[in-house]
Amino acid sequence: MKIGLEVHVALPTRSKLFCSCSADAEEPNTAICPICLGFPGSKPMLNEDALKSALTVAKALHCKINPETYFLRKVYFYPDLPKSYQITQLDGAIGHDGYVDIGHKKIRIRRVQLEEDPAKIIREDEYSLLDFNRSGIPLNEIVTEPDIETEDELRLFFNELRSILYYAGVDINKEMKADLNISLSDVRVEIKNVTGIKNLVDAERFEVKRQTELISANQKIQKETRSYNAETISTVSSREKESDEEYGFIYEPDLAVYPTGNVQTPNVIIASEVAKELSVKYGFNQVALKELTMFDKKSLELVLHGIKGSKSGTVLNAIELLKRQGAITISEQNFDKMLSYLDKGLLLNDDAIKALQENREFSAERSTVKTEEIDREINEIVSQRPDLVKEYKSNSKAFNFIVGMVLKKHKVNPKYISERLAEILKDKA
Amino acid sequence: MSQNISEFAKRPKPDNYYSELVKKVGELNQKFRMFSNINQDISFGLPFSVKDNICVKDVESTASSKILSGYLPPFNATAVDRLSTDEFGFLGKTKMDEFGFGTFGINCPEHPLNPFDERYVAGGSSSGSAVATAILKHHVSIAESTGGSISSPSSFCGVVGFTPSYGTVSRYGLIDYANSLDKIGVMARSASDARYVFDKMKGSDNYDTTCVDHGVSSLNKKKLVIIDQLVNGIDSEILGSFDRTVSKFEGMDYSVEHKSIPFIEKAIPAYYIISMAEASTNLAKYTGFKYGLKVGDFSKPYNDFFTEARSSFGIETKRRVVLGTFVRSASVKSRYYEKALRLRAMLIATLNDVLKDAFIISPSMPIKVPKVEEAMEMDPVKAYKIDYLTIPPNLAGLPHVSFPSDYIGGMPVGTQLVTNHFNDYAILDAVAEWEKSFKYKFKYEVGAL
Repeated sequence: MKIGLEVHVALPTRSKLFCSCSADAEEPNTAICPICLGFPGSKPMLNEDALKSALTVAKALHCKINPETYFLRKVYFYPDLPKSYQITQLDGAIGHDGYVDIGHKKIRIRRVQLEEDPAKIIREDEYSLLDFNRSGIPLNEIVTEPDIETEDELRLFFNELRSILYYAGVDINKEMKADLNISLSDVRVEIKNVTGIKNLVDAERFEVKRQTELISANQKIQKETRSYNAETISTVSSREKESDEEYGFIYEPDLAVYPTGNVQTPNVIIASEVAKELSVKYGFNQVALKELTMFDKKSLELVLHGIKGSKSGTVLNAIELLKRQGAITISEQNFDKMLSYLDKGLLLNDDAIKALQENREFSAERSTVKTEEIDREINEIVSQRPDLVKEYKSNSKAFNFIVGMVLKKHKVNPKYISERLAEILKDKA
Repeated sequence: MSQNISEFAKRPKPDNYYSELVKKVGELNQKFRMFSNINQDISFGLPFSVKDNICVKDVESTASSKILSGYLPPFNATAVDRLSTDEFGFLGKTKMDEFGFGTFGINCPEHPLNPFDERYVAGGSSSGSAVATAILKHHVSIAESTGGSISSPSSFCGVVGFTPSYGTVSRYGLIDYANSLDKIGVMARSASDARYVFDKMKGSDNYDTTCVDHGVSSLNKKKLVIIDQLVNGIDSEILGSFDRTVSKFEGMDYSVEHKSIPFIEKAIPAYYIISMAEASTNLAKYTGFKYGLKVGDFSKPYNDFFTEARSSFGIETKRRVVLGTFVRSASVKSRYYEKALRLRAMLIATLNDVLKDAFIISPSMPIKVPKVEEAMEMDPVKAYKIDYLTIPPNLAGLPHVSFPSDYIGGMPVGTQLVTNHFNDYAILDAVAEWEKSFKYKFKYEVGAL
């Protein structure tokens, strides 16, 4: 099986790609002007923030950057497309020939291009409505080579891509649409406009099943475009005649050729690469660190700050404690303080963690507890209540009861107590 | 000859000057059909008219196409905006070949007629602008040229038609024909008026990426180059007249040299390929439901819906949509569109070399002003070829000016000067020099003070 994706993401700009209309208006058809409505006489003007943002993404995907980038007109007729052509890129795209590393292999990126989003069609039973707020929103289209070969790789790739986009400043909570090209034989089927990873995987599963059945029944797979229906979890033929699509591309003569060399872009952190590096250098648990930091900049900052002085286990433990309070908010100074307590073998209760996050004073005497004290407490209960110990394997209540007893005395992370209890019981067994 | 525009605006006028002017223009419009729309409220400044493919806020702007009927642009074209001062008063929109597609001005309903003799065409595509300029004494017109749409009607109607360097005047607000070729320019009764208006309009504009703030020079080396291929196939009377014009320039201390650029003949197909390719994409937006002509029946499938709207395109427009769509289609693109782009680059390099120390001079049009029926009966390919003198400077984005240089059988004859990029003033100065010894003739002096 071979899968290639074309992923579309909205770039984080305040205004649209070719006009100064707001890029995040809510009330339909309020952020519109002659340019994004394609009125006769209007001309596009490039939003340089969008160029910069697209360039940031392309570099993060290890793309080769074209020294000069330019735009094309892609002509097709659809009610959501005000000019009946989309201003997009192809040969002169921002970036090409990059990759996303998913651990055991690299998924090659064919192209990263900048283009305008069409308007939004809202389909009702009897009619359709158009919202032109979306017309002209800057999109990055990320086109992969057909390197994805399993459902697992599809998930890994999509997750990894989202993480990179997150670190590149893209709002990944906005819907990410993808076209899925999938072929089990030598015939390519394209599934258009699938939103989000769940639907992507469901569409892929359905399509694999459909194509497998056709092959085993010795039937021909049609080269076609299909659409995914999330309600029925199936794909249906779009009934478009699939010849090689004819868009009649020409150069966009209203725009210039833009040099990319002098555009300053921030370096994008790739969380999974950092996790790998730190695991080698400092002995971090790579999987845990990756999961912790993939979609959480602050965690990664704290990790990078903390490893200078503390053990990897301590750093991860500290971040987990902070996360338990909801969002991570702590100054580097207080994080250092927290690490030093943990390094001394002290545990922090919830009040102490909260105080650190809010930069408040707290009494270390009341708010910290030595780890040996927890162990001593557990050992005491274990020796006094053999009845509970006998039961704990078959009855989780018994286990939790012991944890609760310890918690009464020491208000610290119950997860820590559970871990210690399990450890101690294991030794007893 | 030349009038001082800023002085005209201040000059005392009779109270009823503008109302009388509007009345008289309205009467003559019955005969010559140059205006699609006359501003009854004009009350100050030098009257200026605007080709109908250039947007004037809240004034119907249709590029003389039925498909844009009722289109009221919510903005002014930058060029129009920059003239919106006390010095200029908007007089109206002028007719043209639909979307600029034509050499004779006949590709629109009720097309304009030649002010010297209404049996003759006005030239195109900026037909109405040229007729208005030939009829009004104190007036300028904002016109536009893609492949010769200023030179052709200026020559046929006996006015000065100036097409600036590509990129000096903002195209924002221009209803596109072919964006990489379209240039907004001026028609006037003198080179100095054209220059005055050009100075007001030019300069970079945030709304047009291709418009730059480049200094404009006036370098005149007093040398004229005649390209052999551009005096080939010229009507014999026009050629005779051209020789006399060149002699007069020699009398004004210009030296004359002949050069051959054989591939310049390929400029015609290259021009038509690029312009039609771009035009066919520009026209794609006219689907009949957001502005202009509304076909209304939303229950139809979208393809049927816009097909119905687009059936209102004129025959020449349809021809260019079909040809333009063909030359950019994947299977033949490298043979037509991409080859034409290479030819354009080659032409620019070659002409720049010739223009380093000379102007190129040629007749503006290779034929005498044709009668309306003659033009109507001409087959399209022959009509396209008529543009072979105006296409090279237009394809290369070079500044050029057509000015009246003779009258044959009572009809005007124009000569065209071309110079290098951003040396626009030089040819206007040369024409101003010409005007010292050659008096332009007009049959009408409407609004004379």
